Amino acid sequence: MLRMQGISKSYGAVRANRAIDLDVPAGRIVGLLGENGSGKTTLMNVLFGMVPPDAGTIAFKSRPLAGHSPREAIAAGIGMIHQHFMLVPAMTVTENVMLGAASTGRWLRPAAVGARIRSASHAYGLDLDPGARVEALPLGIQQRVEIVKAILRGAELLVLDEPTSSLSPPEIAGLLDVLRRLRDEGRSVIFISHKLGEVLDVCDEVVVLRDGEVAGRAETANVSRHDLARMMVDRDLAAPLERFGRVPGPERLVVANLTSSDASGIERLRGVSFSVRSGEVLALVGVDGNGQAELADVIAGLARPTRGSVFLDGVDVTGAGVATRRAGGLAHVPADRGTTGLVGEMTVAENLALRAVGDPPLARGPWLDVAAMDALARDRIAAFGIRALHPGVPAATLSGGNQQKIVLARELGGAPSVLLAVQPTRGLDPGATRFVVDQVLALRAAGGAVVYISSELEEALLVADRIGVMFQGRLVGLMRREEVDLARLGSMMAGAIEEAPDDAALYGVRAP
Amino acid sequence: MKARHALAWPLLAVALSLALTALLILAAGKNPLLAYAALAHGALGSWDRIGVGLNKTTPYLLTGVGVALCFRAKVINIGGEGQIALGGLAATATALALPDAPTVVLPILALAAGALAGAAWAALAAAIRLHRRVHEVLVTLLLNFVGVLVVSEALQGALGEPGAGFPQSPLLSRPAWLPRLAGASDLHIGILVALAAVIAGHVLLWRTPFGFRLRVLGASEPAAAYAGISPARTLLGVMVLSGALAGLAGGVEVLGVHYRLIEGFSHGFGFNAVAIALLAGLNPIAILPAGLFFGFLETGALAMQRAVGVPSPLVSVIQGLTMVFILSAMGIATLRRRV
Repeated sequence: MLRMQGISKSYGAVRANRAIDLDVPAGRIVGLLGENGSGKTTLMNVLFGMVPPDAGTIAFKSRPLAGHSPREAIAAGIGMIHQHFMLVPAMTVTENVMLGAASTGRWLRPAAVGARIRSASHAYGLDLDPGARVEALPLGIQQRVEIVKAILRGAELLVLDEPTSSLSPPEIAGLLDVLRRLRDEGRSVIFISHKLGEVLDVCDEVVVLRDGEVAGRAETANVSRHDLARMMVDRDLAAPLERFGRVPGPERLVVANLTSSDASGIERLRGVSFSVRSGEVLALVGVDGNGQAELADVIAGLARPTRGSVFLDGVDVTGAGVATRRAGGLAHVPADRGTTGLVGEMTVAENLALRAVGDPPLARGPWLDVAAMDALARDRIAAFGIRALHPGVPAATLSGGNQQKIVLARELGGAPSVLLAVQPTRGLDPGATRFVVDQVLALRAAGGAVVYISSELEEALLVADRIGVMFQGRLVGLMRREEVDLARLGSMMAGAIEEAPDDAALYGVRAP
Repeated sequence: MKARHALAWPLLAVALSLALTALLILAAGKNPLLAYAALAHGALGSWDRIGVGLNKTTPYLLTGVGVALCFRAKVINIGGEGQIALGGLAATATALALPDAPTVVLPILALAAGALAGAAWAALAAAIRLHRRVHEVLVTLLLNFVGVLVVSEALQGALGEPGAGFPQSPLLSRPAWLPRLAGASDLHIGILVALAAVIAGHVLLWRTPFGFRLRVLGASEPAAAYAGISPARTLLGVMVLSGALAGLAGGVEVLGVHYRLIEGFSHGFGFNAVAIALLAGLNPIAILPAGLFFGFLETGALAMQRAVGVPSPLVSVIQGLTMVFILSAMGIATLRRRV
């Protein structure tokens, strides 16, 4: 049905796709497996006509597809179901299906479309009510609206991008059933995921991408989870950085049994416990969306856990706000530099002062000491080598690396006892990445405790004393850096292995 | 570069609205140049007129500064009119209740009561916003109607002047009147209060931690949360502050211009203050020229009508068009930033 050959695509120096071949026969479910940044999304964007490939050919139903737009891809019979649904919440299922459909014509015929939805819904076990408002439907059902939308537009190849990431287990089982029915009636499916279990469960064959290349392909019938995990992460390891060997000091940050739920009631954290000692770096790795963001918010004081506690230097801060935790020595480099870590329209000096304007020396009585703010800024700009013309330029005018330097300068400048760094090198070039890593290690050398959350495995291995793996809201593995086995780590990230860490790993001390 | 840019848009908006209005005057068969000359003469032709213009400007400055501070924090308080109405009511009630208080003390007490009432009215809106999660645009807008009706109700009852035939309070006793500034002209000391408010607004926004928090909250809510800023406390604070300024404006209007509470005295002030705040780019210092522009336009309007026969409501057209152009300019600026 679909044959993509030799697809290559580079973004600047980043080679997102390198000569990828992908065959999808009719009546097959093909899994596309890979870590974040392995090239899955780029490949699908090429297929759907959202970005042109640098090289390679696409044939769909034996007809070439080149220089096409998403509209033409839909017309040819490719249906894309994005991770974030493209539905209008205030409209009914029928209206959403009619929206933008080429066959709608001049007059709307909601009754006729409703009947088609009902019959498709019956045929594939979708269980959809055409008159229901989308906003009142659970996410699993909304996804089925997307599926029926694609089917009624004549999609013979359905592409599902991380379709199970926001679904509950029964919804996932329902989705997989629907996909099997679609396959059995001759349609093809590309199932993009990083969840090994689901891929093995529903796919007929699987293609594993790593660093923009095909790392392996197999029939799911004769491949194991471990094989797939190895294909996903296997690579040569850089030696860990030279560093002071030091005995970890006292526990600085302890989290115990943290549990939290998102707005729709799905548990995002399920009983996470660990501690970090003075002078050590605990890196938490895992595929994005496995609770890392929620864990960071709970530690930082931006969200409250439903259960469990956070202790900072022995003090229970579970109910305390951001300011209290900051005063207690917690520094935080948030994941989103653009909206959270920095205020782009405010000046470099103001951003350096962002979290400290209420405290002396910046606050003098009821006043903000602008001179002190300027002095602090000049100090930090020099100490961290921030390339800014002067402290008064808007932060948004600086490069990404320099913006991150502002965040680091602000957070590390106050000599914190605990640093929570979330994806601190995302979007940075190698030089800036190296700077961030060096700063983190400098804090470690000075006796700081660091929680380093990253989806970049290599980087985590570079900075960490211990590595923990997050999967579906739990800490499924925790090991000392020197005991890391990549294949095992990959299996843990994919949910194939789970093990209770022993005390030495959990608390960062060797058992005597 | 940046400062020049900040000035360019409002000036362009004013120029465009004047030009477009000139076309309207032309279409009505009148000479726009003569009309504008009459307008300028009516606004600035004598010390007396300038005094009236400054009196007009005073409530605009007070209310506009409050609105600008709110908008800086992305708290869309459009409840100026209701807050002014309540401020005028409280100032009147205080002045009527204490007829024997000494000259200096009485206006101060009455103005304080006005500010307090405006602040309370805004705090009510903030409380509904925070506890019932109704958007502040809706709450402040609807409370305007309530506030104006509360004033009417008071004038129909306890505060009304018996036998006046019009809903107004009795004339306030002389000691309550705001002293005049310059001999024969009507100019009262309210303009000094307003100038102080403009400067205080500037200092608050740029030189205090509270102003800093307003700006962070307005720029990015996640960043504000990350910085440990409480959105609720900040919203309440800035609403109370702007309510107090609007209430003060209501008190100044009663004690300085009408010397009594009149039904509908607050009409239009609240919304013009929003226009002024936007014209000023939410910059407290720039509220001064923007407020003067609006104030003098209005005093010149009647003169224009008398001299050239152009209807005075045309001034509202100029104000409205300025607003439209300013908002378009802001839209363009946002688009450019995205590109």
